[in-house]
Amino acid sequence: MRGLRVMLSRSRRGDHERLLDAAPHAGPTRTAPGPTGPLADLLRAAAGPARERELAGEEAAVAAFRTARQPGAAASTPRRRRRRFTVGAVAWVAGLAATATAGVALAAAGLDGSGPVSPPVVTSPAAPAPTIDATPPGETGPTGAATAAPTDGPTAAPTSPPARSPSTPVWPPGASARPSPGASGNVGPGNSENTRDHPGLCRAYLAKSERQREQALRTPAFQELVVAAGGAEHIEEYCHGLRAEPEQTGSAAG
Amino acid sequence: MTGELDELVVAARAGDEDAFRNLYRNLQPGLLRYLTALVGADAEDVASETWLQVARDLPTFTGGQFRAWVVTIARNRAMDHLRRQRRRPALSVPVQELSELAGDADTAERAGESLGTEAALAMIASLPPREAEAVLLRAVIGLDAETAGRVLGRRAGAVRTAAHRGLRRLAVLLDQRAASTAPDDVPTGADIRARRRAGLPPQTEPVDG
Repeated sequence: MRGLRVMLSRSRRGDHERLLDAAPHAGPTRTAPGPTGPLADLLRAAAGPARERELAGEEAAVAAFRTARQPGAAASTPRRRRRRFTVGAVAWVAGLAATATAGVALAAAGLDGSGPVSPPVVTSPAAPAPTIDATPPGETGPTGAATAAPTDGPTAAPTSPPARSPSTPVWPPGASARPSPGASGNVGPGNSENTRDHPGLCRAYLAKSERQREQALRTPAFQELVVAAGGAEHIEEYCHGLRAEPEQTGSAAG
Repeated sequence: MTGELDELVVAARAGDEDAFRNLYRNLQPGLLRYLTALVGADAEDVASETWLQVARDLPTFTGGQFRAWVVTIARNRAMDHLRRQRRRPALSVPVQELSELAGDADTAERAGESLGTEAALAMIASLPPREAEAVLLRAVIGLDAETAGRVLGRRAGAVRTAAHRGLRRLAVLLDQRAASTAPDDVPTGADIRARRRAGLPPQTEPVDG
């Protein structure tokens, strides 16, 4: 009795295997031989021909293919892991820079409350004069020397405008190699007003794996993204939103 | 069929855009149906993420079954997505919605007595996740049990068993469906839905007789 049931069950299993095998290949043109019955119909329907809206992403996919085949991208494609690492490292350095400069800004504020904006003392002589090329209109302050040519070298640095300048090139994690580790004394990021390279942060964020993202969110650099997005769980949505918008800034990487 | 796909893969790897387009057309419907069972309404997002990665990593595809490679990427993306979401572990389409889908299809196809793609997929998606995945990978994507096992990280035998159980469950569902649609006075999902559209509560039992 039991043997009979096992045999029946086996044969049904075999039937099922045949149904499963047949379903994906049963096109609308081939109606004759395929298995019949409600179950076969169901599987055939599930594997039915493509519906138009299912192919809505075709152009986007082809565009991605085209982009990936571009010479610049081609070089970086096979080394995904390395790219991830680079992005991570850049983000890390950026975070470090942000912390450092924030500290400097804090210290400066504590040192001198009198001046409207007392510049932080640039300690590293090796650091080239900050790449600020335009001081904001109302920012020249009491020390007129703020407009000293940046090419003058270290001496010009102390009077250079502080991190407030909106024209300061944002620090793009995407544009790698910009924040060199030696430039910790550099004026630049740290002030929440000018660290608005959210597209860059987003790119870095989206390029990460799940685990890396969790780690990244603990760094100060991405904290800003969390704030901007209104919570860690909204970052992705926020980033996709940013990506949808045309980038007006950027292209600093050259 | 597989040979055709392989030729397309070779051409796409050599940079042939049309070949890539054809690969997309070939695989996307099944992929989307599979992903819908995994992540529900977000399937399209996950599918486009998948194709981004496929486009990018195509040069690193070393051979083997392209279909399985793509599905593996899709599944990983879907799992990432679910982990991100956390709130919904597996199936995200509420049962209510499923029955409505099936009901809609009923009205459209009662004449032909055959199930529509949408309704069929909804029924499969209502299976326990493992069974649904096994059935979809086998019947919709067209992988054999061994390959499906590799994608799922399980043995082929486990995939066969899961698919078998899934089909048994589907057979029961089909029986119930046939039984419930046969008498005309039993309200189907579509009827309930139409009533709701009309602003009436879903179960309008005439209280006053």
